[in-house]
Amino acid sequence: MINKGFKIFICMLFLCCFLGVGVAIGEDEEDYPQEPIIFTKPVKAVVFDHKIHIENGLDCDSCHDEPFEMAAGTAEENQDFNMKSLYEGKYCGQCHDGESAFASNTRCTLCHIGVKGYNRLTGIKPKGHGGHE
Amino acid sequence: MKENRSDKPNYVTDEERREFLKLGLKITGVLAGGSILSLVPLPEDEAKAMLELAGYEHTPYKPHYVMVIRQNHCVDCQRCMDACVKTNHVPEYGYRTTILERLAKDDEGKEFPVFMPVLCNHCLNPPCVRVCPTKATTKDPKTGIVVMHYNKCIGCKTCMAACPYNARYFNEEKRAIDKCNFCWDTRLSKGEKLTACAAACPAHVRVFGDFSDHESEVWKLVHQPDKAVWVLRPETGAKPCVFYMND
Repeated sequence: MINKGFKIFICMLFLCCFLGVGVAIGEDEEDYPQEPIIFTKPVKAVVFDHKIHIENGLDCDSCHDEPFEMAAGTAEENQDFNMKSLYEGKYCGQCHDGESAFASNTRCTLCHIGVKGYNRLTGIKPKGHGGHE
Repeated sequence: MKENRSDKPNYVTDEERREFLKLGLKITGVLAGGSILSLVPLPEDEAKAMLELAGYEHTPYKPHYVMVIRQNHCVDCQRCMDACVKTNHVPEYGYRTTILERLAKDDEGKEFPVFMPVLCNHCLNPPCVRVCPTKATTKDPKTGIVVMHYNKCIGCKTCMAACPYNARYFNEEKRAIDKCNFCWDTRLSKGEKLTACAAACPAHVRVFGDFSDHESEVWKLVHQPDKAVWVLRPETGAKPCVFYMND
């Protein structure tokens, strides 16, 4: 026979677990955008995934509001938002310097998903080009 | 039944393997859309000897226009494709150049795309020229560019079938086959040094130039002793003049 107190304890334990998980998920969703950020300027297209960076131990302060403002599309308006700036340690290059994270001049297509990647993510069906998409 | 040619892109038959070796070239791997052979890495003199064996070093063409594609720099921004369409008035249903994609895995098993720009290879031994019944497509004796003479084309599409690189399409407006001609009529003949695609590339993926000039960037890129260079579908014997490398 399991006594009543133990049953209640087990019930409470389960309840706490579920509530705990629920709260955690809720918080995460509020914390950062779940959808990847897609840059289309100056070249189409570059993907940034908040989740991967959070999982690698970064938090909001790591990139906001320096080097990136907390508003998608802001950096793209800058004339110097390009690879040269990254190599000089600006924008993504602040970490992607070959020490903190892989260097900006390596593994190009990890972030540069191209027009094909852009179309896939946004659900655009490409037209023409002899069925080569 | 013996297979002479692999229809599967990721499979190389023994026959094909022997064909590569006959050329004195080494297979390094297989890519979706084309087998790969490696001209280098080899000591410089050996690499040169192999290119000579394959017929690339002494051609009658001057300038001998070729393209070297620094494949791993391509990010599929498609500015080359846009520039080509604009420069050469390519309709939506066709292309003179496009970019293929495959997925590869890095050391950690993470998938990443590999983008492969493709265009007419301006072969030394072009199958399209050989099969054309009306001599509507020829290899220019001066530049080596495989050109179209639209007024001679009867639209039989035999060249389309013969091309190992799917580099030709039927242009409804011209009522003729159309293809890349390294922008000869639109740019080179007017004094421009680069094709529209090469000029538009922001990552210097498409390096265009004269292979008969040993000071040219294309010649130097192909003759680096420590770099692997390959061409697509070498087993066809077409001797393509678009070289690929990772750098």
